[in-house]
Amino acid sequence: MKGRLPGDARVRIVRSGELRRKRGYVEATDKALEPEGPAGRALERVRSILFGRRLSSEQEHEERLSKVTGLAIFASDNISSSAYATEETMRALALAGAGALALTMPLTIAIVVILAIVVVSYLQVIRAYPNGGGSYVVASENLGRIPGLVAAAALLVDYVLTVSVSVAGGVLAITSARPDLDPYKVTIGVVFIGLLTIGNLRGIREAGVLFAGPTYFYVISVFGVLAIGLYRMVTGDLPAPIPPPVAVQQSELLGAFLILRAFSSGSVALTGTEAVANGVPAFRKPEPTNARVVLVAMGTLFGTLFIGISFLSTRIGLQPDASETQSILSMLTRSLVGEGWYFYIVQIATAIILTLAANTSFSGFPRLASILATDRFMPRQFAQRGDRLAYSFGIIVLAMLSALLLAAYQASVNGLIPLYTIGVFIAFTLSQAGLVRHWLRERGRGWRFSISVNALGAVATGVVAVVVTVTKFALGAWLVLAVMPVLVYLMWRVHQHYRRIEDELLIPRGAQVALRAREPRLIVPVSRIDKAALHAISLARGLSEHVSAVHISFDEDGAQAFKERWARSVGSAIPLEVIVSPYRSLLAPMLSYLDAIDDGDPARPIVVVLAEFVPRHWWDATLHNQTALRLKLALFTRPNTSVIDVPYHLGDAEDFEPH
Amino acid sequence: MKLTNILVPLAGTAIDPDVIEFAIALGRAHKAKITAVHVIEVKWNMPLDAVLDAELERGEEVLALAEKVAEKLGAHISTEVLQAREAAAAIVDTAVEQHSELILLGMPYRRRLGRVYVGRTVEEVYVKAPCAVLAYRQEEPK
Repeated sequence: MKGRLPGDARVRIVRSGELRRKRGYVEATDKALEPEGPAGRALERVRSILFGRRLSSEQEHEERLSKVTGLAIFASDNISSSAYATEETMRALALAGAGALALTMPLTIAIVVILAIVVVSYLQVIRAYPNGGGSYVVASENLGRIPGLVAAAALLVDYVLTVSVSVAGGVLAITSARPDLDPYKVTIGVVFIGLLTIGNLRGIREAGVLFAGPTYFYVISVFGVLAIGLYRMVTGDLPAPIPPPVAVQQSELLGAFLILRAFSSGSVALTGTEAVANGVPAFRKPEPTNARVVLVAMGTLFGTLFIGISFLSTRIGLQPDASETQSILSMLTRSLVGEGWYFYIVQIATAIILTLAANTSFSGFPRLASILATDRFMPRQFAQRGDRLAYSFGIIVLAMLSALLLAAYQASVNGLIPLYTIGVFIAFTLSQAGLVRHWLRERGRGWRFSISVNALGAVATGVVAVVVTVTKFALGAWLVLAVMPVLVYLMWRVHQHYRRIEDELLIPRGAQVALRAREPRLIVPVSRIDKAALHAISLARGLSEHVSAVHISFDEDGAQAFKERWARSVGSAIPLEVIVSPYRSLLAPMLSYLDAIDDGDPARPIVVVLAEFVPRHWWDATLHNQTALRLKLALFTRPNTSVIDVPYHLGDAEDFEPH
Repeated sequence: MKLTNILVPLAGTAIDPDVIEFAIALGRAHKAKITAVHVIEVKWNMPLDAVLDAELERGEEVLALAEKVAEKLGAHISTEVLQAREAAAAIVDTAVEQHSELILLGMPYRRRLGRVYVGRTVEEVYVKAPCAVLAYRQEEPK
């Protein structure tokens, strides 16, 4: 461009909005992803409304979780357990009569001690493995691949079950209030899973913001109940217990097995403890420190809520309801605050947190699956981040599996609960045992103390795993135990597949290679002499001297006529082979022809150049027989053969001149 | 004065984000179109259209940052990279060509010989531009 003065000329640099030059390379911007057609743009708008704007990889640090949102994301499962942990323990004890309920508090303390051991162990996991991975990484590195895969399979199964159980629990809260919705409980559950999926596909930070409120709402409202209860106890104003609608009938004697069963039922509360250690990289810097703070906060919050609920329930003398219409927490709240607005607030908070407990799995499952995929034990799609930097594939797979399970069990909490917990305790035991090996090997500062903590943890969680398995085996836990080896086998096979492929494909790192040019033979199938065919032949001629055309005719007269037309229009510049196919087949004679060429000179690659006419509208394609497409599919797996697709759009420049 | 086009030359200094923010605030009130421009000065011993990869990359980065600032504020700006012998002349000529009513220049706080240094380009644009020119000087560092 000229300037006002002769020396003022300037040049405008034409830049592509879709590509941006950066330090020695070119970067594709978000504009490159913008669809062009109106339908594509409309779809993109819907996608953007549902899942939000695309995030670049550079924005990953913005997606990291603060301690406040991290606690809501990773702790919702564990904290929500406080809503039913006391009840599960009391329900088992009540089988031995009301007197056995006196053991509720000792068992609660025992479970909290186990929780403390597990939390301390996972603090050590975070210290030893700050890149996340939890039980899988600890077990793999210290006990071997198979124990690592067992831990991973156990956790994956448990994450799926957590979603199904939590959502079924939330649906139960709704159908308890509106029994007329009972026939639709699977549909309601699937809708819940869909909403959680969309929320999580929007990215972990946004999911945290969306779901943080209900977690804190529950914690504050239940702490309020406990504060009122303690105040009334101190002032000597504890109310009389509300009798359950249906009391649990004494059917067993109080023995070691029943106590262990009550202990294992209450231990359901420990699910979700491993999620923080799995997802350390999701936290803001310094990641390990933030993860440790969240883990301690989670354990403290849960432990306080659990002890508080158990303490007040036994102090008041509450008994579990055999008909399962009223929970211990609801009876405790009603006893202490009556049926006023606060009672309903606690109920609503409980219903929401029970559903949102599933959210912990939505961050745990995809993250663990991505680690497994990076180690090539799961398909690679699990390791790819989606538009919002979330592990979208893992989220969708988790949603589908949990929805299927929910449908298979007709959204029944009682049906799903026995499947629950086993996996988590197997993973706990393996990671604790792995840490014992780790400290034995490292022998760093304080290794003796670390070993004692982890050995105690391994024994304690191992015992719970055995107890849970034995007590719940006949109720459906066998299914989980049957699925886990299958999963481990599948993961092993996936690994073998990737290793085999890599052995065949990869060249040694840093190896210098001398490329050998292999001149191909180009073959252009021609159905008739038209602009699309000539366009393909022109391109083929530009690539190599060795180009020939092949035509398939259904009878000899047609073959002769085509030869004459070819000689007239194209001449002898491109040799033509005509194949007569009396059975009117196109693909088989073409493949046989290629086989014959290949046999003649197997060292030379064959390139089939396909002329493909592109109609103006997609619906016009139905008027054409798509021979090129069929041929392309047939040649896709043929060895020593490449296919070049040459699309011809109406209005393309002509590559020939009339004689 | 009604503003329909505002030209914002950016040199890649620390003040660029503030200048863009200010231009957006001004432009919003008038619904004006904002164009951010980065001028690469080409030495006389090279052809004007020489391919200067390193300078071009830097220009892209400067304008990408401006776009990011605008995006955060919910605004849209156009961007341009120019190659010229003298940045001031290119800025003035572009303002004339685009019928800009205002050139908004960023001026980093620099001192030379005990005085605040204005800079050659800012001074020249002030003198030569036919439209209004506003210099946004960085505040004195404390």
